Amino acid sequence: MTPEFVYAQFPIISISILIPLIAAAIVFFTSEKIAKQISIIASIIVFILSSYMLLTYDPSGYKIQFYEKYSWIPQFGINYEVGVDALSLTMVWLTAISFVVAFIWSTNIEKRIKEYFIAFLVLEAACIGVFVAWDLVAFYVFWEVMLIPMFLIIGVWGYAERIYAATKFFIYTFFGSLFLLIGVIGMYIYNYMENNVLSMSYFDLLKLSLPHNLEIIFFLLLALGFAIKVPMWPFHTWLPAAHVQAPTAGSVILAAVLLKMGTYGFVRFNLPWFPEASKYFMPVMFALGVIAIIYTAMMAIAQTHIKRLIAYSSVSHMGFVTIGTFALNTEGVNGAIITMISHGLTSGALFLAAGFIYERLHSYEMKDLGGMAKFVPVFATLFMISAMASAGLPGLSGFVGEFLALLGTFKVSILTASLAGLSLIVGAAYTLWLYKRTMFEEELLTEEEKKEYSKLKDLNTAELWSFLPLVVFMFVIGLYPKWWIELINNTTAFVLHKIVGG
Amino acid sequence: MTIVQQLVAGLGVPNFQVLIPEIIVLTTAIIVFILELFVKSRTLLTLISAVGLSLGALSILTISEGAITLYGLYIVDSFSLAFKFFLIIFTILAIINLQPYVEAKKTYYGEYYYLIIFSLLGSMIMVSSPNLVSFYIGLELMSVSTYILVGLWRRDYKSKEGAFKYLIMGGAGTAIISYAIALIYGKTGSFDFARVFNQIQDNADLATTAGLGLLIVGLALKASAVPFHFWTPDAYESAPTPITAFMASVSKIATYAVILRIMVEAFPLVNSVWSYGWAVLAAVSMVVGNFVALKQRNVKRMLAYSSIAHTGYILAALASPNGMGFTALIFYSLVYLFMALGGFILLSAFEKNGNWTNDLDDFKGLAKKHPIMALYMLIYMFSMLGIPPTVGFMGKFGVFMALISSNVWWLAVVLVITSIVSAGYYLRVVSYMYMYEPVKEGKFNLNPVEKFTVGFLAIMVLVIGIYPTVFWEISNILTSILVMNIGVR
Repeated sequence: MTPEFVYAQFPIISISILIPLIAAAIVFFTSEKIAKQISIIASIIVFILSSYMLLTYDPSGYKIQFYEKYSWIPQFGINYEVGVDALSLTMVWLTAISFVVAFIWSTNIEKRIKEYFIAFLVLEAACIGVFVAWDLVAFYVFWEVMLIPMFLIIGVWGYAERIYAATKFFIYTFFGSLFLLIGVIGMYIYNYMENNVLSMSYFDLLKLSLPHNLEIIFFLLLALGFAIKVPMWPFHTWLPAAHVQAPTAGSVILAAVLLKMGTYGFVRFNLPWFPEASKYFMPVMFALGVIAIIYTAMMAIAQTHIKRLIAYSSVSHMGFVTIGTFALNTEGVNGAIITMISHGLTSGALFLAAGFIYERLHSYEMKDLGGMAKFVPVFATLFMISAMASAGLPGLSGFVGEFLALLGTFKVSILTASLAGLSLIVGAAYTLWLYKRTMFEEELLTEEEKKEYSKLKDLNTAELWSFLPLVVFMFVIGLYPKWWIELINNTTAFVLHKIVGG
Repeated sequence: MTIVQQLVAGLGVPNFQVLIPEIIVLTTAIIVFILELFVKSRTLLTLISAVGLSLGALSILTISEGAITLYGLYIVDSFSLAFKFFLIIFTILAIINLQPYVEAKKTYYGEYYYLIIFSLLGSMIMVSSPNLVSFYIGLELMSVSTYILVGLWRRDYKSKEGAFKYLIMGGAGTAIISYAIALIYGKTGSFDFARVFNQIQDNADLATTAGLGLLIVGLALKASAVPFHFWTPDAYESAPTPITAFMASVSKIATYAVILRIMVEAFPLVNSVWSYGWAVLAAVSMVVGNFVALKQRNVKRMLAYSSIAHTGYILAALASPNGMGFTALIFYSLVYLFMALGGFILLSAFEKNGNWTNDLDDFKGLAKKHPIMALYMLIYMFSMLGIPPTVGFMGKFGVFMALISSNVWWLAVVLVITSIVSAGYYLRVVSYMYMYEPVKEGKFNLNPVEKFTVGFLAIMVLVIGIYPTVFWEISNILTSILVMNIGVR
């Protein structure tokens, strides 16, 4: 199966990467006052561009669209090669919308404003780059560049234990990335020895048929890099720390975009490059996925800190993506991709909700909270929708993805599907419990607290506009998943073509 | 006939004109040496040194083709020319940053200038040696000048201690190298790399192995590879910081270059012996350098240990004794100049602040007080760590490529793991700058020269990182020249 390359009329992808970088440069040289506006405008332009690509993308057949290729380091056959298929495109779109939300939400930031927005803008460029790069060095560069701004975002604008969390995040991910790099270079060298061609292009490496043991080794090297980013159990310990300490917008991006890089990596690289190893490791991946789903859901129930709860729930949701991916069939992979998008929207919204609560009541601890719903009804409604979408209520985005992922898994392993399916109940339990403990239980409030709560202000304009796009798309995907599934179907077929044959 | 040509003809040495860069550098050193006796103006000395060396650098550009001169003792090929060019440029950068530092520290000695230039001359001779004798002369000229430079701050106890340690260890290194040369001479009857190669070929008998082994030990000592590194932290810490910058960049790079040249030109067919030796040294350097650096609270000392680790990364490329490995070594050496000199010059600029001690605590809140300087430091730190888009990444990338293409997986894994360890201390500097509130008062008065140097080098670290093609090409060409030189003289 060879993809068709549709060259871009104008370099829309490069422009999408450059706009945040240019905006960052402008912010660097201008006053703090307009930093926010510039960042929001830049992110909205990127969002418009990504939406344009999404709407004009041709889902028939497998084509790499808006494709660009320029020579970069010719001595090593390294190019700047970007383009999108449906998987890339949905991830780019998710990135773009998440950054719009993050920037709008960040209008109330007061500490070191310029640096804050520069860090986020650089982060946005790197994140988009990861999803569009088809040259492995370009991919790796974007993948690593992302670490610097995120390290600063957690470490500078985070909470009390921020430096520890930032360092842990950095070192963990760096650890995985270097093994990923070794794996990629290994593939590159093997390709050179086999075909005498120096190439870091995804498609050239895709053509390789590796001996079994090499396939296993490379699979593991890449998987280590991706598993840490996902994060899969047992590599997940950096995540709760990072989430708890990161500022709200940082948590949103971390959950909505950064975690997707890991799952994206599995779908993009491990499945098509190492079909035999993927089959070989299917049971292991299932086991790790199910452990993640159940164990971290149980951990989530035990949490008293809102953000930590959402963080553990993220690991649990990523477990569904893992099992969906390694079901190695169309339903499973479709489900994984939709879950990735959906989780981006819902976890983003949930972290916004956590941020909202913290800004009003200055606590993330559920024991200090409760009974807000009556006083901030608009927020309570949007929070409820997000929570339900996260819990997988039909009609909202979460259901579609997890249903498909389970369906795919069911076809290959009833046991895995049953265990994962059962844990949906746990998922619903912690989500509802989170909601109950923060929003209801009004009867537990003292008179004094009620007085204080009656002064709480509901969502302001910026907050409302951060929430709305996420919530709207939860419905869009939940109510009309057909469009999205048709969009990604051929990409899924491509991802699986070496596994199912054809 | 120009005067130069007449002179050359008069001397009767074939191809004498290719020595013009060395002659200019030597003349500059002598002029500065004499002037320093009469002139008090430091600015003038700086200026003359800089102008003289710039002329030297320019004269390199006029030499178009390779030639052997001094009856086989000296080779001027593109490999040596390129290295000499970089050595001179970075020496100029080190020299122009010396004055603000020594004035602020009230440690001015006129000797600084000509000693640095003599040391540079030694480095230049080293990289141009096709012969163990001329290599040895260059090495000694470089080393002896540096011993004095380290100890020049003679009222300071630490400076004396550092210089003494360096002298003793360096002396031991010299002795080992001379013994190695004697053994190799005894075996082959020649000092010339090409003849050594012709005699030895692939016959690694006991005498050859012993000579080669001792040579590696001596060179490793000069390059401060573990376990022969003990002089490095003390010498680096106690020397005036611009001198440390010079040592960590120029002297180090000359040593890497000469290591490469000797190994490739004199012992190409016994590469299985030396590649393994260097691999082991590289591995222990990475491990020890990084783990000990992790414990340091003094940033200058930390950078000294990190330079040991970088010696490990660079020499790791020799574990892959082929074109890919040599190219990676040359590339990493050249780009390391930018990070090392930049980092140390930045420290020297900070040190001018009276209560600055290079302790990690001094870095607290630097991003607030001096955002641009903090940004430069961040770039250097991430580059040394090897995060794209800085050039440090491309350096490590090249080494990875070399190691994996030669199936030296174990060393690649050591490199990975020690790199992760290094994140611990590089990140710490960044987090102290960005994530803490300032604790110390004090102003930084950076003069334009310092601002230019650190800014220029930081930008280069990014530019070469994003577009490494030119430097890869240079490294590639230099490799092919080295390989072509095998056994041709």
